[in-house]
Amino acid sequence: MDQLSIKNEVAKANEAGGHTEERFQFIVIRLGEEQYGIDIRYIDNIVRMQNITRVPKVPAYLKGVINLRGEVVPVVSIRLKMGLPADEYTRATRIIILKSEAVGNLGIVVDEVREVVTLTDSNIEKSAHEVKDNAASFINGIGKNGGELISLLDLNAITIEENA
Amino acid sequence: MDVSQYLEIFLDEAKEHLQNLNTQILELEADSENMDTINEIFRAAHSMKGMAGTMGYKRMQTLTHDMENVFSEVRNGNIKVQPELIDVLFQCLDALEEYTNNIQATADEGTNDNEPLIKLLGDILKAGGKVDAAPQTSKNGEPAQSAGGDKKWNDIVLDDSQIHVIKEAQKAGKKAYGLTVNVQESCILKAARAFLVFKAVEEKGEIIVSSPSAQDVEDEKFDKDFTLIVLTDAELDELIKLAEDVSEIESTIGAELVVEETKNYRPMDEPTASASSAAENAQTKTPAVMEEKAQAAPAAAKPSDKKPATGKPVVNRTVRVDIEKLDVLMNLVSELIIAKNSLVSASGQEQNTNSGFNEQVEYLESVTTNLHESVMKVRMVPIESVVNKFPRMIRDLSKTLNKKMELYMTGEETELDRTVVDEIGDPLMHLLRNSADHGLEDAELRVQRGKPPVGSIFLDAYQDGNNVVIEVRDDGNGIDVEAVKNKAIERGSITPEQAINMSEKEIINLLFLPSFSTAKKVTDVSGRGVGLDVVKSKIESLSGEVEVKSKLGEGSTWTIRLPLTLAIIQALMVVVGDEKYAISLGTIQAIEDILPTDIKLVENKEVINLRGTVIPLIRMNQLLDIDSTRDEEEGLIVVIVKKGDKMAGLVVDELLGQQEIVIKSLGAYIKQCKFISGATILGDGEVALILDANALL
Repeated sequence: MDQLSIKNEVAKANEAGGHTEERFQFIVIRLGEEQYGIDIRYIDNIVRMQNITRVPKVPAYLKGVINLRGEVVPVVSIRLKMGLPADEYTRATRIIILKSEAVGNLGIVVDEVREVVTLTDSNIEKSAHEVKDNAASFINGIGKNGGELISLLDLNAITIEENA
Repeated sequence: MDVSQYLEIFLDEAKEHLQNLNTQILELEADSENMDTINEIFRAAHSMKGMAGTMGYKRMQTLTHDMENVFSEVRNGNIKVQPELIDVLFQCLDALEEYTNNIQATADEGTNDNEPLIKLLGDILKAGGKVDAAPQTSKNGEPAQSAGGDKKWNDIVLDDSQIHVIKEAQKAGKKAYGLTVNVQESCILKAARAFLVFKAVEEKGEIIVSSPSAQDVEDEKFDKDFTLIVLTDAELDELIKLAEDVSEIESTIGAELVVEETKNYRPMDEPTASASSAAENAQTKTPAVMEEKAQAAPAAAKPSDKKPATGKPVVNRTVRVDIEKLDVLMNLVSELIIAKNSLVSASGQEQNTNSGFNEQVEYLESVTTNLHESVMKVRMVPIESVVNKFPRMIRDLSKTLNKKMELYMTGEETELDRTVVDEIGDPLMHLLRNSADHGLEDAELRVQRGKPPVGSIFLDAYQDGNNVVIEVRDDGNGIDVEAVKNKAIERGSITPEQAINMSEKEIINLLFLPSFSTAKKVTDVSGRGVGLDVVKSKIESLSGEVEVKSKLGEGSTWTIRLPLTLAIIQALMVVVGDEKYAISLGTIQAIEDILPTDIKLVENKEVINLRGTVIPLIRMNQLLDIDSTRDEEEGLIVVIVKKGDKMAGLVVDELLGQQEIVIKSLGAYIKQCKFISGATILGDGEVALILDANALL
């Protein structure tokens, strides 16, 4: 269905150029106690938590809209979408702006942004959607970074609107 | 350079010419003797032929060529304009349109040769007496235009090698011609025209020199004419014709160049001359002495020079601007307005009001408002471009339906936002077809009813405040409310019990339900039940509305109301709970303070009686799922909104005042919110939602 755009395809190609293995960069974020990775190619921007204007009569996970440099961008609570407890906004809370060709820019609320990691193909274990657990259907792989495991978010699953 | 970059211009022009031909041929049908019209048609066909030829669309060229031939004969009085001729011509236009559409879709004209049409045209020509009437024959009567001063090729300074080349070529049996091409003064893309001329001429021969240089011509560094010296096997006439086939070329004159041996051939044993450039100039200044053949070649555009200025200007002076560029400009203006709004709010907060600062803010405000207005104006185009095709459509409908009808249009010059104009064509076409097919009665029935046998359809457009109103009216049968009601019951859209309680207006509105048609038989024209619902949804997507009024036996009127602009509006800012919302000022009728005791209950719904009108109340806090911050005992603030003749009172907590707001989309991700039409960014950077009052009613 909705395919996320890969705007910096060139960068990826350059990166892959010198190596035999393909390398991907992920932004590591925290939701509750778990760490998740978001492919950096889908990220437009990371902004601090700001006042979100509520939109009436929409699903609860749709928090509302924000003003991103003069553009109105919808913001989704990824916690609510994944069936986790509602967000508590702290000083570390950030909104990650994803770029998507199908639905335009979209913000997701995360508890914390930690670091950027580079993973090679061999460090990523692709997972099929066998697990019917709600939260797991938003994961399309597990990345191994040193001793830590990072769940890689399937952004298509997030940007698809459930009751569209 | 290749031709493909001119494809867009070609398409634009082809469409313009087609539209022009349609209009003119319609006129010709009404007044078959009008020479102006005939000339105009001839000219348009001729230009199209030239354009198609240059772009390499041979089939299109053949067809237009034959049309042109027919017109040449009409112009010479050898063929009389008959209704059959008009029909054939319209078929030709349809075929040309098909070519154009193909070209637009695939850059190829398609493979339809339209042989039957070409044969028909040929038959007409034969019947007219003369078989071969080349359009050029019409030029015979024209006076020799180049009376001397125009022979600019005389001024071109040739150097030795060029002279040598010319001589060699002449020895080989080729001819050298000087050509001066004049571009029409109104021409916008001179360089493109010139390129097309270069290209056309190069197909026949070799361009040795041009003045200004080819590079300068390409960069549009010339006034309105340029001169070529060409070596070719072809005849001068042929070259001139090629050049003139390019549209917007006013005229081309040319003559054969004779390089005279005695004067110009510098023997090799005179090396001194080459040392002094002055001497060389003096000598080469004269090499190209003309044999005064003076081939007069008046342009295809000539007839227009002679035509007295009767009313309309021939061409609108326009610059085609990519709409994306305009959007960028528009966005910049939007940003500016937002910046201005934040300045305004900042100035409101500061207690130590600095009058100089306020003055500047006011100045900025007037500048942004003016800028906004002018950018909006750039986006405005007259609806003419859309409605122009309707007379032809009605004519065709009149034949297919075998009903006599006339279309009367007013207000074609009314302007609307470009995006709206592009979209409004189909809905209007639906309504007109609807009027023609369902609305108007047969001639017999009309006479029985004491109406003139020819039915009338009116298309009126006018501006009304912040809206543009387009009305489609007919003097036909009107809507049979009973028939609609029965059909609705039969289809199960409503129950018989519901039907009893429905007002006439509500029943008429049933027509806008998907796949609803009362036409007794399905015709080509309408009755398939797709249409009115599409019309309605299309117009609503443009933030407009459509209404119908009808009187059985007297006719119906469809009224389309569209907002002038879509991007920036004046809005009233209100507070509900702790949230700010904007309501378009265009929909607001009044603002009332009422007491809780003024609220009455009708059918368990809250209403107020406002000076004799009963208006339902909508509690915005309930609708928006938020707690009201206002104590009801203090009284309620009610914003009365109106859509058509429906009204409602919106109960809000607080009024903030009027503001110019920039409408932003909520994005594709948020879909379900029906009564929020968008968002806007306030001066403090916050986002406020825009309430769509139309959806609330």
